[in-house]
Amino acid sequence: MPADNVMVIGGGPAGLEAARLLADIGTKVTLVEQRDFLGGTPIAENYAALTHGFHSAEEMMGAMVARVANNPLVDVRLGSAVTASEGEAGDFRVTLASGGASEVVAAGAVILATGFQHFDPGRETQMYGYYEYADVITLADAEGMLKQGSFLKPSNGQVPERVCFIQCVGSRDRQIGNEYCSKVCCGISSKQAIEVRQLSPTTKVFIFYIDMRMYGYWENEIYWPAQEKHHVQYVKGIITEIIKKGDRLLIRGEDTTMGRPMEVPMDVVVLAVGMEASQGTRQMAQLFGVAQNKYKFIDVPHSALDPVATSVPGIYVAGAAAGPKDLDDTIGMAGAAAIKAAGLLRRLVMA
Amino acid sequence: MPQPIEQQKVLQDKVKEHEHLVVEGMDISGHWNRMFGQRAIFDYDPDNLAKVATLQGGESLEWCYGCAKCTAVCPVDIVGDYSPRKIHRKTQLGIDLFTSDDLWLCTTCRNCLRVCPKEVDMIQIMPAVREQAVLAGNVPAELQKAFEDTAKFGNPLGQAQRKRDAWTKDAGVPVPVMSTIKRPVDVLWYVGSYPSYHPRGIDAARAAARIFAALGVDYGILGREEKDDGDSQRLAGEKGLFEMLAEDNIAAFNSYEWQRMVVTGPHEYNAFTNEYPKLGFDRPVQHYTQFLAEHLDELRPLLKHEVKARVTFHDPCYLGRHNGEYDAPRALLQAIPGVELVEMGRCRENGYCCGGGGGGMWLDSFTAKHTSMRLSERRVREAAEYEAEILAVCCPFEVSRFEDAAKSTGNDSLKVRDILELLDLSMRG
Repeated sequence: MPADNVMVIGGGPAGLEAARLLADIGTKVTLVEQRDFLGGTPIAENYAALTHGFHSAEEMMGAMVARVANNPLVDVRLGSAVTASEGEAGDFRVTLASGGASEVVAAGAVILATGFQHFDPGRETQMYGYYEYADVITLADAEGMLKQGSFLKPSNGQVPERVCFIQCVGSRDRQIGNEYCSKVCCGISSKQAIEVRQLSPTTKVFIFYIDMRMYGYWENEIYWPAQEKHHVQYVKGIITEIIKKGDRLLIRGEDTTMGRPMEVPMDVVVLAVGMEASQGTRQMAQLFGVAQNKYKFIDVPHSALDPVATSVPGIYVAGAAAGPKDLDDTIGMAGAAAIKAAGLLRRLVMA
Repeated sequence: MPQPIEQQKVLQDKVKEHEHLVVEGMDISGHWNRMFGQRAIFDYDPDNLAKVATLQGGESLEWCYGCAKCTAVCPVDIVGDYSPRKIHRKTQLGIDLFTSDDLWLCTTCRNCLRVCPKEVDMIQIMPAVREQAVLAGNVPAELQKAFEDTAKFGNPLGQAQRKRDAWTKDAGVPVPVMSTIKRPVDVLWYVGSYPSYHPRGIDAARAAARIFAALGVDYGILGREEKDDGDSQRLAGEKGLFEMLAEDNIAAFNSYEWQRMVVTGPHEYNAFTNEYPKLGFDRPVQHYTQFLAEHLDELRPLLKHEVKARVTFHDPCYLGRHNGEYDAPRALLQAIPGVELVEMGRCRENGYCCGGGGGGMWLDSFTAKHTSMRLSERRVREAAEYEAEILAVCCPFEVSRFEDAAKSTGNDSLKVRDILELLDLSMRG
């Protein structure tokens, strides 16, 4: 007799949405989260406002959590680590460890929603000095500041005169080994640029880029307004290195459309770090024996027409565990994975 | 006046070298004193961009995302180094557009706006920024003179107002003047400054008078009561002057009874259909090509003589791109027996600019310092490439511009004719 539940691993946006949709169609869910709270990276990494609509991350994720937390069909397992798995589609037996005890839980299908982690700029091949200069920060650091409602120069607590974002930090780089585009950094930088301008209208904000990659709502809700309404200055040409000069940072690169070198002082430099496969994603891939791509994200063999199926029947993937995703893509994948998993259970029961 | 390059925040790549230089008794002439201009960008000052964006009409400059579609179609860039994208970038870098020479190079030809995905609108930006430069007294001298002449004489040629209808004497037909005939007419013909005063403009005006007479058009002109339309002065930054002229002209238009207005020039057409309505004048206006194309059935039998020539047509920016009329002039040319109409590569929506719009008519020497050749010279070369014998025009700015350009480029055999002159020639032989 096949198991009648789906195990969703990861309590971030993808996992929460998949769990909610499964419960909505009457399928039992075991939602496993290694942290002690639901909400995933937006909560763990102190995101301020989510796209679109600039709604508070806490409120948005809170609403998603509320839809599953008291749902009788969703068995939420917080602080639980997956330590082993055996079996096959319709009959997985997954060992969950929690507080020193372990338990084997059956599942008919599994959805991996284990997400990403931010690129560590210490691995950057450029000379950005993230661990040397207090005023060089990442998008995630900036989110934390924005969540507190202020954006000040970390070294002296003053309102910065000039802030710039450097795109593609840790992405699209053969030397680092991440040739892929992280998809959201252009948009998140532009979103933060708008937020900085709103907090401090005297601050001049620049974005240095290789290509701006923003489609859909990123283009219309973020990029155009950033430029046209919030006076964010976009300059084509990436910064090669950052040099400390007095109490400011000197950014060095080329202004490519002018064909001239630039050495411009900045107060805060925000590194637009990309996405890498999270530890959870790497571990679950190995534990469940699903193939990974060369970047250690979970491989989706037929990504165009079957965007949530992994190399193992009965195991699906949703969200950034399969590679960089924005919220739109993540939520869409969660829906597809939920239907795939529920459909599998139904077929096995009828058979 | 434009800031000297040495004082600009962002310097061009310029090598400076004094041929003769002695410093403290030491002769360091020639390469010994060679200096290179600053090359690296040390600062970005988007305040200047913000300054433009705060002007009414200047908002869209900062919308540019640098696609550079404008550069390929900018008629100035084809003979120089200038385009809206470049202006946006330079301003973003900190160049002060309000005092830069770049401010006066745009002819408001509208080809950039035609292709711009962001609708960065130089037709609004240029007059808005130029108006501030005019108020600050930063205007090239030759343009300033045209402004002053217009204010003083009612026309940018600096000719006496009382001589505005002097051209009618030798038209060969009577030209009715409203103040004399004292009766309602069907057509009020607004002649315009260049057809009234410029020797080659007058040729077109007289041709028009003969054509109207032959067609039996019931019309009148304002004569000495007519003043320059002021639209090009407005686009060159003299909004106050424009409003003054418009007020006088509208008063003159309203003091007579007429059914519709016909204008000789596209700039006047643009003024009366798009700008004067904002000041309360809203009556039907036609460019003469539209009026005559409407009367083609009556006109055709009058065109008895062959004008055997390979003819190409230059679309005026303010008739074509600005107001969408491409067909009427062509219909007239094709009605002339013997004419073989050939299109140049840059025609219709992508027509090249003669350089006379947006104040360019009065910035010839200034613009020449920033371009490898005049826009008019680039255009006659294109006409010559297509082996045209006649370059046909229908904007009073163009005849003299292109005739000068034909001479200066060694294309003396290329004749420049207003369509009115060609019709008249076919009519009279």
